[in-house]
Parts: sequence; structure tokens; C-alpha cells
Amino acid sequence: MNVIEIKNLTKSYGTARGIIDVSMDVEEGEVFGFIGPNGAGKSTAIRTLLGLIYPTSGSAKIFGKSCTLFPEVRKDVGYLPSEVFYYDNMRVIDLLRYSASFYKKDCTKRINELAYAMDLDLKKKIDDLSFGNKKKVGIVQGLLHEPKLIILDEPTSGLDPLMQQKFFELIAQENKKGATVFFSSHILSEVQKMCSRVAFIKEGKLIKLEKMSTLQENNYKRLKIETKSALLKEQLNLKGISKLEIKGNIADFIYKGNINSIMKKLTEIELSNISIDEPDLEEIFMHYYAKED
Amino acid sequence: MNMYLHELKSLRKSTIIWTLAIIAVAALYLSLYPGIMSDAEGFKKLLGAYPKAVREGLGIQLESITQLLGFYTMVMAFATLLGAIQAMNIGVSIISKEIRERTADFLLVKPVSRNSIVTSKLLAALTMILITNVFYNVAAFIIASLVKKSDFSIKSFLMINATLFFVQIIFLAIGIFISVIIPKIKSVLPISLGIVFAFYLIGAILVTSKDDVTRFISPFKYFDISYIIKNSSYEAPYMITGAVIVIVAIVLSYIIYAKRDIHAVN
Repeated sequence: MNVIEIKNLTKSYGTARGIIDVSMDVEEGEVFGFIGPNGAGKSTAIRTLLGLIYPTSGSAKIFGKSCTLFPEVRKDVGYLPSEVFYYDNMRVIDLLRYSASFYKKDCTKRINELAYAMDLDLKKKIDDLSFGNKKKVGIVQGLLHEPKLIILDEPTSGLDPLMQQKFFELIAQENKKGATVFFSSHILSEVQKMCSRVAFIKEGKLIKLEKMSTLQENNYKRLKIETKSALLKEQLNLKGISKLEIKGNIADFIYKGNINSIMKKLTEIELSNISIDEPDLEEIFMHYYAKED
Repeated sequence: MNMYLHELKSLRKSTIIWTLAIIAVAALYLSLYPGIMSDAEGFKKLLGAYPKAVREGLGIQLESITQLLGFYTMVMAFATLLGAIQAMNIGVSIISKEIRERTADFLLVKPVSRNSIVTSKLLAALTMILITNVFYNVAAFIIASLVKKSDFSIKSFLMINATLFFVQIIFLAIGIFISVIIPKIKSVLPISLGIVFAFYLIGAILVTSKDDVTRFISPFKYFDISYIIKNSSYEAPYMITGAVIVIVAIVLSYIIYAKRDIHAVN
């Protein structure tokens, strides 16, 4: 079953770019990464999904229903925005109770558990909290009703590494219990750890949607070769080679494709040294993001 | 219900302050009444020296100023002005504050429709205005009874006081409408003060006679208190205009707010 269905979603803001013709599905129980640089349209897609903004065309559905037409589907959604702001004059516990009051179930136990896990003081006024602590309120607030779908928009900004660790443990626990996680970020390493599939968005367009395992499979290699004599660009004109950098007799590049083809190509060159690595997602990502020249 | 209670709580403090302020103004003015009565002729002469426009603006009717209800007309002019500011403040802020205080991402992703959010906020605002009026009526009645020299018509008194409520509802509706058409309101008070004073001044300057069409421009002029005292009724055309303004403003606010894009904070 698809928890999230986005079909040909376009949102334009006058002349400014929003998102263009984005389609993707998120299956029940998976952790889905949504990757893109700032301003690529991640938040626009999420806000449309949540019913905060209206699509120009296309549709965005949660549990098969549009949030704008059926606001009640949001009862199973927990959302953590990148920046959290709450009613300043309330205490943490009052805010969390207010939040819980929308879900028609007793969340007291859950609030206490989460606050304990995140080391959050419930008696403090929200006014007096640091940015990181407000973020913790946001996390508790997003999870206290045990949502079936957790939507995270750049969730880790403002959290120290220890808290990030705890946060990811919490999310992993929820996922194990069956919650689907939709996770947007521009930090790849954190997505790499958790996600089963990942979508890349760039300048408002979805450019790639792939399984994490596929992305990390052998079809991407980072190669560094050293030759006896100076290298020429023509010696490495093979389809699948990108980000080629030649400095004297050292060449550095990413290869995507059949590994035998590149090996054959390399045998034509007199090598003095070679290293082949798994590129991290960052490099694959940059590969997609690099402006085509 | 939870949203309604939350809004009530957040309006509580300002409602108490505004209610006390309106009562204080009324008390201050009414406390002058016994003194004025002791030199009624001198006072009439003094007020007669003011230009007619100024007197109209202040709600002064020379012929009835020495009667309690006539004097009360002047009190109401100020109470209504304050009340209008209070209502406008609530109207402009109650929906826009979620965006101004950046809490829209909290409230608007809850499993409730935009319409039910508007309804809760509207009901909370109405409740607070109603509470203000109940306390004002009680306080004004007690003070008036203390300063009166002769009996006054309680029916007329209550009908006059009800104009405070009507004006407040009109300004509340206008305020809500304004708050949904302006994308982001950084600060409420300058907007609400500006609009209320604009209407007040338009009413005071433009409106020169009782059956002038310019009366329709300013809600402050919809209720002519000397007419109410004389006829024990309201003027239907203005009453209807007021009702139409309220209904149109509220209906449009629902429609516009439901269709509105709530953008990320930045």
C-alpha cells in the first residue's frame, strides 16, 4: 500500500520556481529519503502533501486522500518542520497537551516517555527554551500520537550529535513498529544511514528515485589512476565517466556502468597505480546536481 | 472545543484590560454628570461655543445634554471608539497570529479543517466581546444609577449600550477580513488603530446631517443615539448595512482562508 502518492505535482509561485511535475510514491513501512539542496523544492512538496499549500496542478495524497479535502487523514501524520515555533507563553507540557487534544486519545504516557528519552524539561516555558530544546519539543509533539506516517523536514538542524543519535533511534523504533518515514534533508550521510529508498530533487524537478541499495551497488565507482606518462582526456572517453579531473599523470573520476568496460579501457593505458572506492552518497549526489555543461 | 478554549485563554488578559479601560472611561465621564447638572445652563453655553462639527463628533446633543441619557450619548462615543479598537485588534490578530508567531505549521497540520479553525477563533472572539459587553452593561448601569438625578428609561439605556456590541461585531468582522487578505501582518496595533481612527474621523468630518448617505461609510454613524432615545428603535437601513458587512466579511474570510497557501517561515 502506498502511504504517500504524489502525481504530476506542480506548484508555481508566479515567476518563482516551486516544483514541477513531481511524481513519487512512498510505500507503507519504508524510510524514504528526500534529498536536495536548499531551495530545490523539498519543503514545497512537503507542505503541499500536508495541505498547507495548494498545488497548481497534480495531486498529493496521504493514505489515499488529499489533506485539503480530508483534513482528518492528518490524525495519523506526525510532522516535524525544520524550524519549530510554538506559543511562547505556554509551558512545554501545556503545549504538548494541547497538541494531544487534537488526536482524541490519551497521550500522557507517551509524552512522558518521549520527554524522558529526549531529556526534555516539561515544566519550562517555551519562551525560555534554547533552539535545540524547542526542537526537542517539536520531536515529542510530532511523535506523541504515535503517527503512522512521520514527515521530517530537515529534522536534525539545531540538535547536538548526541541528540541526533537519540532522535534517529526514536525514528528507527517507530519505523520498526510500522510507521512510514518521509525524511527530507540536504545532509546525505544521515539519509544514507536510515533510508531504504531515496529521491533526488533539483531545481524543482525530481531527477532520480532509486533504492538505496541500488545507489550503493557496484555501478558507481570512484577511480583514481596514476600513469607513467602524462594522461590525455581522450584516453578516458568512455560513456559513464564523469567528474573527470586530470592533473598531469593522475586522473580522478566517477564511473557508472559495466565494470568490464572500464577495465578494458584501462588496460589500454599504462598504469602505475590504481584505487577503486565506493563513492559515498555525497559524490553520487553531486554527480546529479552538477550543472550539466 | 480545544481550539476554542485555547483561544479564550490567549484572549483572556487583553479582554480584562480592555473591559476595565472601557468601564473606566464611562465611569470617569459619568462621574462628571452631577457636577455638570449643578450648573446646567453654564455648561450648555460652554458647549454651544464649540463648532457644531466638533460637538457632533463628540456625540454632544445640546438639547438633551442635561438629561442622563443625553449626557450618556457623549460617554458612548468614547466607549464605542475604545470598543471598536478592541474588536479590531482581536479581529486583525486572531487568525493572522498563527502566521506572525509562526505557529501555523503546528496548528494547520492537525487533523482539523481550516474552516473549523476559523470557527473556533471566531467563536472565541465573539465570546470575549460578549463578556466585555456584559461587564460593561452591568458597570455602566450601576454607575448611572449612582449619578442619576431622575429616573431614566432602562430599555433605552440597554438599547444604547447594545450599539457598543453592534459596532464591535462590525469591526471584528472587518478586522478578520483584513487579516486574511493581507499576506503577513507584522504588527497588529498600527493596523487596527489606523483603520478604526480612519472610520472615526470619516464619520466625524464627512457626516453632517442625520440622513446623509455618507453615514453609510462609517460604522460609527450607524447608530444615532438621539434617534434611539426618541424612537426606542434602531434605524433599519443602517442596521441592515451593518449586518450585511458582517456576513459578507465573515463569509469571504472563510473562503479566502480555506484557499490560502501557508508558506514556510523564513
